[in-house]
Amino acid sequence: MTATTPSTSTAAVRDGEAPASGPGRRRTPRKRTARQRELGACGALMTPFFLLLLTVFLIPVGGAVYLSFFSQDQPGLGFGPERTVFAGFRSYEAVLSDPTFLSSLATTGLYCLIYIPLIAVLALAIALLLDSGAAKLRRTAQLSLFLPHAVPGIIAAIIWLYLYTPGLSPVVDLLNKGDIDINFLGVNTVLPSIVNIAVWSNLGYNVVIFYAALQAVPREVLEASVVDGAGPVRTALQVKVPLVRPSAVMVVMFTLIWSLQLFTEPMLLSQSTRVVDSRFTPNMYIYDAAFTRANYGLAAAASVILLVIIIALSYAVSRWSNRANTPEEAAQ
Amino acid sequence: MHGRHRRRSLLAALAALPLGGAAATACSSGGGPDRAQARGGPARITFWSALRGSQEVVDAFNKSQDRVRVDFEQIPGGQQGGYAKLRNAARAGNAPDVATVEYPQVPGFAIDGVLRDLTPLISDRLRKAVLPAAFALTTFEKRTYSVPLDIEPMMLFYRRDLFRKHGIDLPRTWAEFEDAARTVRRKAPGKRLTTFPSDGGSRLAGFAWQANGQWFDTRNGAWEVSLADGPTRKVIAYWQRLVDEDLAFQNPIDTPVGVAQIAKSQVFTKMSGAWDAGGIMGSQPGQKGKWGVAPSPRWDAGNRQVGTHGGSTFAITKDSRNTEAAMEFIEWQVSHPDSLRARLSSGISSMYPAVAGLVPVARKAFDSGYYSGQDIYTLFEKEAEHVSDQWVWGPRMTSTVRTIEDGLARVEGGHGTILGAVEEAQRSTLSDLKSLGLATREG
Repeated sequence: MTATTPSTSTAAVRDGEAPASGPGRRRTPRKRTARQRELGACGALMTPFFLLLLTVFLIPVGGAVYLSFFSQDQPGLGFGPERTVFAGFRSYEAVLSDPTFLSSLATTGLYCLIYIPLIAVLALAIALLLDSGAAKLRRTAQLSLFLPHAVPGIIAAIIWLYLYTPGLSPVVDLLNKGDIDINFLGVNTVLPSIVNIAVWSNLGYNVVIFYAALQAVPREVLEASVVDGAGPVRTALQVKVPLVRPSAVMVVMFTLIWSLQLFTEPMLLSQSTRVVDSRFTPNMYIYDAAFTRANYGLAAAASVILLVIIIALSYAVSRWSNRANTPEEAAQ
Repeated sequence: MHGRHRRRSLLAALAALPLGGAAATACSSGGGPDRAQARGGPARITFWSALRGSQEVVDAFNKSQDRVRVDFEQIPGGQQGGYAKLRNAARAGNAPDVATVEYPQVPGFAIDGVLRDLTPLISDRLRKAVLPAAFALTTFEKRTYSVPLDIEPMMLFYRRDLFRKHGIDLPRTWAEFEDAARTVRRKAPGKRLTTFPSDGGSRLAGFAWQANGQWFDTRNGAWEVSLADGPTRKVIAYWQRLVDEDLAFQNPIDTPVGVAQIAKSQVFTKMSGAWDAGGIMGSQPGQKGKWGVAPSPRWDAGNRQVGTHGGSTFAITKDSRNTEAAMEFIEWQVSHPDSLRARLSSGISSMYPAVAGLVPVARKAFDSGYYSGQDIYTLFEKEAEHVSDQWVWGPRMTSTVRTIEDGLARVEGGHGTILGAVEEAQRSTLSDLKSLGLATREG
């Protein structure tokens, strides 16, 4: 059926149509076939994406929105028979007036404020070092940085939990011997401890993103800066960094989205420190509402609120980066 | 990266989900007693419980008659996944015929439709046998949702030897208790009279109960929530003072840390329900003969009122198709002397039965050697009479108690106050109940 050469296509047409139809009419069906094939290919390639989008995103989101607005109510004290009613914004009001949800948002906010700048700056600094050629054993360094990312989050949390737990941890033991008494799982230290796990897991991944972007910086730009008398530090900060800004935006956005969905690490730490409670982050709040409180309306409303916050913040980051880019491009 | 992490958290969430395994075994019930008897075989019912000694009770019941055969499954304790398991089974439509539910969780499971209204099934004999204050806790809008097994007045367990050594008299009021705490701190450095339990949401409820607190009130046709009412504030101010003036330790007590404090004789007392007489025997076998049991201190010597701590009930779930057989088993379990003997034979237990007629049986079955022969059941009996009946548990008690304890954990770490923890639980509970569509009122 492939119509790659005129001869085969003519043959195909000859099979299907009367030979007297002429060249003009011959071209039309050929064009349609190509277009159909293009559409078919488009369809075949896009269908899996849309199918997945529909089944694992749109339908669940729709379900959550439905659950957040409709409820199985019983009148009065609740001991009567259930009936489904439109609950309006009741669940949303309940979530937003729940101090434990608000404090989970505050915790996550604080986490983002510590974690995002830390990982972005660290990853960029390490990528610049690798790119500058100052670092020896570049390959080994890259591999050892990236390896922790291959460890699943739950395993990472278990490893670090072991290192944090007093009585088990050789690190805490060693510090105690040096007369340094530190509780990694205390009220004030537990958030930095979680940040530490996240940095350990994700640093290498972000270094790779920055490193790839740095490799793509045109060599003649760097040569020009050397000719203009810029030292390696100045080249790095004033030439390379502005050129990898799009990667920085990407890293910040992905990290932000991931941070707002923080779940695995604190969930595991909550097993061994009571400072990490069952509603430590919004995702944990949602889990607790659905599975220990059996309050699906509340869980759904909290999920929708979290989704809206994530979308809004991601949008804000991309708007901010666009705006920041524009004057520069205009200047160029 | 984003997608990968999302998948990761999802996997973790799935892994953390209590598996609804063993649900399949719950399907074996079915067929009414009449049908079963027509076939000539016994009616089969399923029973889930986390209570120790349940297997012995079930064996004794199965041996005692051939009309009903009980298939028992030991499940984890409520907070360790037992309640989640029951809830999931109910959602899947294969909950067991009979399940053990502790008092605080009864209204929640009843509202969610997991428990059946047992009012028409409860015989007059059973109704009369069980302490009215116990039935009051499982009855809402004149419908009874479960049958109490035990009622556990809050008691003061104390180290007789240490009290004598330091010349401390048994405190009868909370004021005397505070004086004793000062004495211990003065005379025994590094030791304290007691511990304010930062894992003790349900103990705090018991203290509030005694002081005439009313965390939940349903008298006006709505859930009136007032966790920080006047009496509770009095209780909280008392414990906050003990903690602030370093008269009491502040840490979780039902944990290895708490058990170790008692083992090392760093703490002189423990406040718990009557059942914990057995608990202490089990966890501190080396301190035999050193412990005594006393009534909980009172707010004023004239008012004998006391709260409870712990206690279980038996309920029939909505999925039971054999409610009469299930009720026969429950009635036998809570009121037959052989049942109590079987339960106590399994090891060390000191539960105080809600059926008053069983107290002599318990007294006889319990070996009081650990308490130097003290007649603790007579003491329990006197205290149980003073359990005040105004108390109502709320519809999401697990979560209310846990929110309090989350706050207390922060108080222990130096952040906030006990009152702050309770006030946060108040607001959080109200959010929860409103979202469930229940009629609520802030007290």
